[in-house]
Amino acid sequence: MKQTIFFLIFFCTIITADKAYTQEKFTISGTVKEASSNETVIGVNVIIPELQTGTVTNEYGFYSITIPEGNYDVTFSLLGFQSVTHNFEVDKDIKFNLSMEESTEMLDDVIITDDVERLDIDNPQMSVNALKIGTIKKMPVVLGETDVIKSILLLPGVTSGGEGAAGFNVRGGAADQNLILLDEATLYNSSHLFGFFSVFNPDAIKDLKLYKGGIPARYGGRISSVLDIYQKDGNRNKFEAMGGIGLVSSRLLIEGPIVKEKGSFLAGGRSSYAHLFLPLFDNDNIAYFYDLNTKFSYSLNDNNNLFLSGYFGRDVFEIMDNFNNSFGNTTLNLRWNHLFSNKLFSNLSAIYTDYYYGLELGFVGFEYVSGIQNFNLKYDLKHYLSDKLQLNYGFNSIYYSFNPGEITPTTEESGINALKLTNKFSWENAIYVDAEIEFKKLAIQAGLRLSSFNRLGQTELNIYENNNPVNYNHELKIYEKAIPIGTESFSRSETIKAFINLEPRLSVAYRLNEDASLKASYNRMSQYIHLISNTSSPTPFDVYAPSGKFIEPQLADQVAIGYSRNLNLFSLEVESFYKKIQNRLDYIDGADLIGNNAIERVVLSGEARAYGLEVLLKKNKGDLQGWFAYTLSKSEQRTSGRNAEEIGINNGKWYNTAWDKTHDIAITASYDLDEKWDFGASFIFQTGQPATFPNGKYVYNGMVIPSFEERNSSRLQSFHHLDISATLTPSKNKERRWQGEWVFSIYNVYNRMNAASITFRENEDRTRNEAVRLSIFGIIPAITYNFKF
Amino acid sequence: MLLLFVCLGFLSCEEVVDIDLNTAESKLVIDATIKNISYNCIRITKTTGYFEENIPFVDNAEVSIIDANGNNYNFEHSEQGLYCGEFLPEANIDYTLVVVYDNDVYSSTTQLVSTVEIDFIEQNNNGGFSGEDIEMKVFFSDPVEEDNFYFLEFESSDVNIFDARSDEFFDGNTIFFTFSDEKLEAGDEVNITLNGVNGSAYNYLFTLLQQTNSTNGPFGTQPATVRGNIVNETVPDDFPYGYFRISEVSAVNITVQ
Repeated sequence: MKQTIFFLIFFCTIITADKAYTQEKFTISGTVKEASSNETVIGVNVIIPELQTGTVTNEYGFYSITIPEGNYDVTFSLLGFQSVTHNFEVDKDIKFNLSMEESTEMLDDVIITDDVERLDIDNPQMSVNALKIGTIKKMPVVLGETDVIKSILLLPGVTSGGEGAAGFNVRGGAADQNLILLDEATLYNSSHLFGFFSVFNPDAIKDLKLYKGGIPARYGGRISSVLDIYQKDGNRNKFEAMGGIGLVSSRLLIEGPIVKEKGSFLAGGRSSYAHLFLPLFDNDNIAYFYDLNTKFSYSLNDNNNLFLSGYFGRDVFEIMDNFNNSFGNTTLNLRWNHLFSNKLFSNLSAIYTDYYYGLELGFVGFEYVSGIQNFNLKYDLKHYLSDKLQLNYGFNSIYYSFNPGEITPTTEESGINALKLTNKFSWENAIYVDAEIEFKKLAIQAGLRLSSFNRLGQTELNIYENNNPVNYNHELKIYEKAIPIGTESFSRSETIKAFINLEPRLSVAYRLNEDASLKASYNRMSQYIHLISNTSSPTPFDVYAPSGKFIEPQLADQVAIGYSRNLNLFSLEVESFYKKIQNRLDYIDGADLIGNNAIERVVLSGEARAYGLEVLLKKNKGDLQGWFAYTLSKSEQRTSGRNAEEIGINNGKWYNTAWDKTHDIAITASYDLDEKWDFGASFIFQTGQPATFPNGKYVYNGMVIPSFEERNSSRLQSFHHLDISATLTPSKNKERRWQGEWVFSIYNVYNRMNAASITFRENEDRTRNEAVRLSIFGIIPAITYNFKF
Repeated sequence: MLLLFVCLGFLSCEEVVDIDLNTAESKLVIDATIKNISYNCIRITKTTGYFEENIPFVDNAEVSIIDANGNNYNFEHSEQGLYCGEFLPEANIDYTLVVVYDNDVYSSTTQLVSTVEIDFIEQNNNGGFSGEDIEMKVFFSDPVEEDNFYFLEFESSDVNIFDARSDEFFDGNTIFFTFSDEKLEAGDEVNITLNGVNGSAYNYLFTLLQQTNSTNGPFGTQPATVRGNIVNETVPDDFPYGYFRISEVSAVNITVQ
């Protein structure tokens, strides 16, 4: 409560302070677009050198800055674009829309937006990495497929479970703690083919930002990070098509005007080749994925823009008629940008998201379907009060419907009974306000988010003795499922349990001199839905469970401090963070998560913590560009007993999370040799993934049983690989409309056999035990042809 | 899930590797599986290093079962840690296992758990995941409206398959369990045993089966030490491995056609 009062006073003070000085001021505002396609441009720096002030275009290309009467030069700049300087006689409000030309010597060559040529040391926002799709496309990748998730793994503080692991981990957080937004719609699964590819079609993407800390108040619902991805709007000037043909998949994207300069469309599709992965087996197997991206945008007038975007993606696996599996995301999203005035920008989004998982097991004779659907209404306003003060505020309301699983027998003789796990419903709401203020050398972004979560009524909610769904067996020292003493039913409109959380956010930057600044941030985040998974990386099969009577929301507090410095050709960022998480679920031994209608009976609530140091040294100029990133970190969790007698999980001791990587080094570089050739290379090194190894064996009932050491106290071998690529742009491109390029790449050049897993088992003839390492990718050469016309 | 993963055969590669493992202090293992037959055996061994070839056995323990009426059944050591004796369990009586070893007293109490008959067995020569293996389907009828748990054993000279199931998804139905293995051949003698177990024995066996092929890596579940139902009364923290259960069994011996 104290915090609320503090923030309220804080806001009142700054708003009134601002009022006192707003006389005699005028506003310059408008939208920045790219000249050739009329696509809006995100993150353009709008700078008034004379006043030592400036702003940045928002996610929709809009900017607004309010300055005193006078005559000023205003510079618009963004790496990869020709800078524009325009002189304004500011004696009234000015509307100025700008088309920026791409720099001629480069086509897609944009590296890191946030620090256009130099780090934006004045911006209080820290722990954020922004990537342009052009940068991502230059990184060499496995099988030649450009991949958004693989590219963010090269950033400090971001790791994954290794090759073939889905999702990613940010600053010691779990994969389900990342908020992944595609055009503001939440995605529940970011990977295809169990993590070999991410769900984002690189051709359809404009920009992405990854927030690792100091997360602004407009984001909420996940506690570790925000990956905010924006799709292109589509070319408003002319029809254009682009695509690529690769070894694993092909893609095609078309875009063009519907009404010239007013409206545009974009439609993209991508598919991997069926049978590709399983041709060596002589039976009928199919494994492939596809996704479709579509978007329409339309300008009603200068003050109103509409966007309709959709995404549909599926993975399909079929093994004879015995096994049919498909899963994926669907999103549909309508947005309305409205300018109330030249100082007040608003965006209203209505979003539908659906995650579907279906499995049919022919040989057992049943079908299993699970999923999650949500309806999300979001209203975000950006209020550009003066050149020193910007307010962001809005609300967000999400209705969830969870289908934890439904089993249907598919054949007459199937011995499986139909089973419907009880659907669960909930409603999450949030309001936020966030201020960006500058006081001389100090820049502050302070915000407050008030979030609430109502677990809505359902049928068949178990009742337990003492409200305790997990019993502790004192004699055997094990946790056991409690037997329900009854069930209760609630109507859908009733609230079974409500949670309210106040989430303060604060980021501060202090400018030491022209080239260096110190930054600090604090954020509290809350997460009301939990991924139920006891594997170290998420699988598509995992279901989400909402917080409620027996499961509390996860809460995270993170503090970070940082130092940023521009060094001529280089920029340096050093950050250190500490993160503490409450109510992290852990699973009792032998927990059965599949088809479990009462997950609360197999989980206990624990805590997690992570801390680390990140260094990012970047070179943003010249023919050779790239970065070096190093992270030293620790990520642990603990589930103590609920009282002094209980032993907890892992004897109540702290243990490494499955994604704890002590050292993480990533180097990526691109070299522009001449007009024909570009080269790229990246190297990644990570401490081996924590693992639990056997520390003995015994025989029971004729079975050889391993006994295990404490959780995650050993590690797989360290993980590293070097990848290179070369891009050939034929010189005849210049004269013609058809633009082609060849991308040659080699993944894992020195054929490192990285361990995806180590399995302990009896050998073939059952005489002794052995350890077996599974490696997924050795050296993989690939070739891709990309085109555009 | 893992199966699919391994199927990405042309890229992935499995290799036996040397890994140095720690070896924990040796613990007592009591395998007290009693069936509804007149002569039963209990095996007492110790844990050993994971890569060791021989299992050390215990030949100097005192082993007995005491029923609720005070009758005492002794089990004498015969060979290789096997303690045997005349003992035929009856329904609805508490039986307590008592093992004395190295001055520690270990004990556990349970009852006989009934089961149903195996109805029939079907053989299919185009079964298994690949569609090419010999597959045996074991049919039985689950009683309606009660929680039943089963532990199935399928044994031939080359193949040993175990399965633990609760009737949660097939309560009251005629259900089958499928066993298949590429090593099964016509002429193989197969023993199929259906054991009745209670809920906690099911949990124990289910968890144990999860652990037998432990995989680390992205899709591995967190392995854990599995505690059974036998308590060390002298030093409670030094618990033994193993389990004490009394199962009614229904067994069939058949020859693969």
